[in-house]
Amino acid sequence: MNATADDGGDDLRYAEYVLGVLDADGRARVAHEVQTIDEAAIAVAVWQQRLMPLAERVEELAPPPYVWARILDALHLGTPAPLKRQGLWENLPLWHWLGVGASVIAAALLVVLFLPNRTPPPAAGHLDYMVSTMQQDNGVTGWTATMDLQHARMVVVPATPVAMAEGRAPELWLIPAGQKPISVGVIDRDKPTTIALDPAMLARLGPTASLAVTAEPLGGSPSGQPTGAVIAKGAISGAPPAGAPGHQVARVYVRDPGAGPV
Amino acid sequence: MSPATPTEREHLNQLLIRTGRKDEKAFAELYQRTSSKLFGVCLRMLRNRSEADEVLQETYTTVWRRAASFDDAKAGAITWLTAIARNKSIDRLRQHREEPLEDPYLIDSMGGDQTTPAAEAESSHEYRRLEKCLDALEPQQRNSVREAFFTGATYNELAKRCQVPLGTMKSWIRRSLMQLRICLDQ
Repeated sequence: MNATADDGGDDLRYAEYVLGVLDADGRARVAHEVQTIDEAAIAVAVWQQRLMPLAERVEELAPPPYVWARILDALHLGTPAPLKRQGLWENLPLWHWLGVGASVIAAALLVVLFLPNRTPPPAAGHLDYMVSTMQQDNGVTGWTATMDLQHARMVVVPATPVAMAEGRAPELWLIPAGQKPISVGVIDRDKPTTIALDPAMLARLGPTASLAVTAEPLGGSPSGQPTGAVIAKGAISGAPPAGAPGHQVARVYVRDPGAGPV
Repeated sequence: MSPATPTEREHLNQLLIRTGRKDEKAFAELYQRTSSKLFGVCLRMLRNRSEADEVLQETYTTVWRRAASFDDAKAGAITWLTAIARNKSIDRLRQHREEPLEDPYLIDSMGGDQTTPAAEAESSHEYRRLEKCLDALEPQQRNSVREAFFTGATYNELAKRCQVPLGTMKSWIRRSLMQLRICLDQ
């Protein structure tokens, strides 16, 4: 073969881009050309066809489940989880079911989560779940939040739909002891909200932290700090370890207030 | 997920096309079928779990947003997806480090590919053709191309790892790319 290093021109640059050897500036230039010049887009696509088969042999590894939760969250999608899931937290039909009758059933779930708390809670760091009951000033529970530490997720279930002024939405805040509130996200007032927790957020969850909901402009506080009144708040406490998630699910059904007095 | 059979490939293409029409179920199945592969690719390049998590998330949010531009006449779904995952990984590498965090591993010790007979039997026609063309390169040049592909290293980094002058590395890789083009386009 007589190919030399000089006869490639642009096509060589596109090949280098696809292979991945260009520095940041070189990559940015090609990426721009791909967006603006048809020939560049075609040449890059052809090089991808040529070289991508190499990736076939890369060892596969299942990503952690919270990645999918974060993707859905980032895209505001509500697609059912695609992966085989187990346990209370993975039981999406349960959560959907909870959403249907949230006002009564959230209370039942709370009972379930708090029941075994008569035994001393396990040491922090070994907890699977944490919970918080956010009460309004009148003592009525507004939302319950359950945090799945393993899967880095929080589910916030409205217990009683809270009245909101027009153009306002409830925003959830994590308040570590003695620190400024950190926005967890805008939550729904009438159905459960699932929120992916980033590592920084996970690290701050604990019995000295609390959760609060404030009324903010739709889309959340523009400043990153609460601007509206606190409408519900609650401390965070440890939930029993999920030794028997199936057991807990069964109890939720057993204690459905619709089936009889709790 | 090794979409070696035409049926599997076609199924992935359809899932990606449906994702382009904002079909959430198709997107979920696409994720289920391809995320382990793409996570493997991200992890191989970034060599850091939490970064691979983040880049995989960026990859699939981009997939959702750009899927409508996927054209199965131009590329297969897996090629299209892998290219996005690699681009995101390489961009991440460039963002914050010219040198990898971990000790560079020697080109001669390139590993991590599944080279079992089973993997061999499952590999696609395209893969076997590419391997054949790579085999026609000088060993050092072939290894440089593979190292570049799997680690996303710049010319500078590759030259340091191989302890050769930058110009030598550039000429190895460029010559290899041109030879591969000729070989693959035959």
